[in-house]
Amino acid sequence: MAILKTNQLTKTYGAGDTAVTALDHLSLEIAVGEMVAIMGPSGCGKSTLLHLLGGLDTPTSGEVWIDGQNLTRLNDNQLTELRRRKLGFIFQFFNLIPVLNAVENAALPVTLDGMASQQAQAKATEWLQRFGLGNRLKNLPSQLSGGQQQRVAIARALVAEPALILADEPTGNLDTHASDEIAALLRQVAKEYRRSVVMVTHDPRIAAYADRIIFLKDGKLADETVLASQPAGAVAH
Amino acid sequence: MSIRHALLGLLSQRPRHGYELRAAFSAVVGGEESWEVKPAQIYMTLERLTEAGWVVCESNLGEGQEPARRIYAITPQGHSALQAWFGSGVPSEHQRDPFFLKLITAVVAGEKDLQRILQVQRATLYRELHALTALRGRLDARVELAQILLLDKAIMHTEADIRWLDFIEIRLDEICRQPIPQPELRPRGRPKKEIQPE
Repeated sequence: MAILKTNQLTKTYGAGDTAVTALDHLSLEIAVGEMVAIMGPSGCGKSTLLHLLGGLDTPTSGEVWIDGQNLTRLNDNQLTELRRRKLGFIFQFFNLIPVLNAVENAALPVTLDGMASQQAQAKATEWLQRFGLGNRLKNLPSQLSGGQQQRVAIARALVAEPALILADEPTGNLDTHASDEIAALLRQVAKEYRRSVVMVTHDPRIAAYADRIIFLKDGKLADETVLASQPAGAVAH
Repeated sequence: MSIRHALLGLLSQRPRHGYELRAAFSAVVGGEESWEVKPAQIYMTLERLTEAGWVVCESNLGEGQEPARRIYAITPQGHSALQAWFGSGVPSEHQRDPFFLKLITAVVAGEKDLQRILQVQRATLYRELHALTALRGRLDARVELAQILLLDKAIMHTEADIRWLDFIEIRLDEICRQPIPQPELRPRGRPKKEIQPE
């Protein structure tokens, strides 16, 4: 079953002679529990793709479907709600709030969604404990290593139990050892917790953790490599 | 050669028979999937080591149910050969590259779709990298650190090979426009006498 589907997804910036096509009629599907890496040279459209999948930008043409909902047909409020409940975001620079501790940061999406603070923090604590941060709950981001900060960010991405995690260079700001830990954790998120993970990366070592690599070039699918076959019934195509 | 000396090293630990030696070799190199040596190769190597005087072979008639086996033991000459090996460097063979050979052969043969050759190779390397990463993740660093370090080496080199493919891909058209490497022409026979200027 596909959790994510794009149909002829196209994004053009500018108009006329100066128009730049960042994404060119791209169609793809991501299965439940699948981990996919998006790779390609800079300017190939991978960031544009991630922004369109996350509803952070609107396509020029084509469609994005997440869990059966067509993103391009939603109004702003519906889109905000979908982003909050179905999607989790992970960034290169963690994007934690410096004055909030690990639990408060991880609880933020559900707190903003109106969940009672105590319940929200209990959920956040649960995820942080799963990720080995049980003894760092009250630490501020500045008191955590890069790898630990990214684990808080992954807990934050998962706290609302989303179906799909979008990660933009999640190991881009980490050393080799922490990068491996984060990539292994994202794989665990896909396999053990059955969330789909779409990760943009330029690091072959990190991409190798995925089930499938999609190579983009000039906004188009240049190549695709399956690294691990999906269990029957979960195949994307 | 490495296998010969590795067998010497294992025999310096204690005398063993051929079958035991092969199992011990397999264990230290990270299993048969990482470095397979056939029994015939072990016995041939032991024969050479015996001829060189680095190893002696004693027949064991076997006690009780045990069958008769040839037991091999290291000699003092064997010990010094082993020490000499520990004291010397091991050259890497990165320039002898089977994929490069395939690619340059494709250029020579006028193969049209070089891009496809690169893509297939990239997919192969990524699958290998995925399998290595998964295998590494299953090992226990408290007791299997040696195997983890070997896998780290394999992971780092596979990663470098993938990056190298990206380099090639960018310059593929340029390579095709350049002349194909030709053998150096050496004139046969006696070199001609150089004419001395007056």
